[in-house]
Amino acid sequence: MKGKLAVAALAVALMVPLVPVFAHHSFAAEYDANKPVTLKGKVTKVEWTNPHARFYVDVADPTGKVTNWNLELASPNVLKRAGWQRDSIKEGDVVTVEGSAAKDGAKMANARAVTLADGKRVFAGSSGGDGK
Amino acid sequence: MIRRLLNVLAPAAALAAALFIMQAPADSQAPAGKATFDPTAPAGTDRADAAKAKAKGKGKAKGGPAGPIPKTAKGLTDFSGIWNGGGPVGDIKQGMPAGEELPLLPEAKALMASRQSKDDPEANCLPTGVPRIAPYPWRIVQTDTHIFFLFEGNIHSYRQIFIDGRPFPPDRDIDPTWYGYSIGKIEGNVLTVETKGYNDKFWFDFMGTPHTEKMTTVERYTRTDYGNMTVETTITDPGAYSKPFTVKFAATLRPGEELMEYICQENQQDAAHLQGKAGL
Repeated sequence: MKGKLAVAALAVALMVPLVPVFAHHSFAAEYDANKPVTLKGKVTKVEWTNPHARFYVDVADPTGKVTNWNLELASPNVLKRAGWQRDSIKEGDVVTVEGSAAKDGAKMANARAVTLADGKRVFAGSSGGDGK
Repeated sequence: MIRRLLNVLAPAAALAAALFIMQAPADSQAPAGKATFDPTAPAGTDRADAAKAKAKGKGKAKGGPAGPIPKTAKGLTDFSGIWNGGGPVGDIKQGMPAGEELPLLPEAKALMASRQSKDDPEANCLPTGVPRIAPYPWRIVQTDTHIFFLFEGNIHSYRQIFIDGRPFPPDRDIDPTWYGYSIGKIEGNVLTVETKGYNDKFWFDFMGTPHTEKMTTVERYTRTDYGNMTVETTITDPGAYSKPFTVKFAATLRPGEELMEYICQENQQDAAHLQGKAGL
């Protein structure tokens, strides 16, 4: 148990400073650190592209209405150097995404943390930072 | 269970390590509310970081691996290698001594104040120009006659520096370009690069710090040991600044790393969503 707690503490310690830096644009100009979002749904598409890897998730609201969200990660090179692969998440995976929403109201967000249905965390890095 | 978690966390740990290698901590100029980490701080260290680290008794800020400085077959300092950092990313002022202000002329100040984030050339997948650096690795390739900077990211491009002893061509033969016309020489552990013929299209940073086609630069790349290099750039631009000023950033070597392809135009969706004035 102590080991699990230590690992959990490590996870937290790792996540806190993992506020990302690898953007070709100002993070604050695109995303609002004060608009955190948590999105859960099925991955409909993964784009392993530059300048950002992106994935799209169908998210249902309480009334059942489904919206497709466009979620931004770091560049594939940054993710790859950190050990992630283009199939770390796949179409059809059910994921929970924590991130910051676009300032302009678009259904876009910067994905800070992505958790698969089995609890595995992937892509612990995004393209901007929110200091949270 | 623990092993599984560790397996999951290993890449995160690697990324964390990469972040700390590639990114200096937020410096004293980080805006309020971003004190924990400045996502736009320059890769590598800068004067403010170094001063801060020293003030805290931490000595030299974290850098690249130590070791002897490599030499070419002709005995010149060899700057080859894959580097990170060495220029401004978010705010060029981070490379100036604490308290020093940019000597902006009124027109340049007004231009800067009018700039919008969505128009940042780098956000639109255009080159950084000089001295801006993208937060991605770049490689120096050195021959007896040329030095090339190969940039992985933003954009996947190169810069050419002539070290064959040639003089500048006549000004009328130099068209304004993103990286200008560069002539370098290596003396001791210093590569000095003089450049003119810049266009006025690139920004120095996310802040929209401007310049004009009158800009010339003198860069001093000093390889201080195997894994570290300081980059001091003196900017002279009577079109935008009342006097020359110098910025200093640090680059760190990333031995064992290789450049990867990065075609920024492939799926650029950001610029259309950038809001507000240029800034961090």
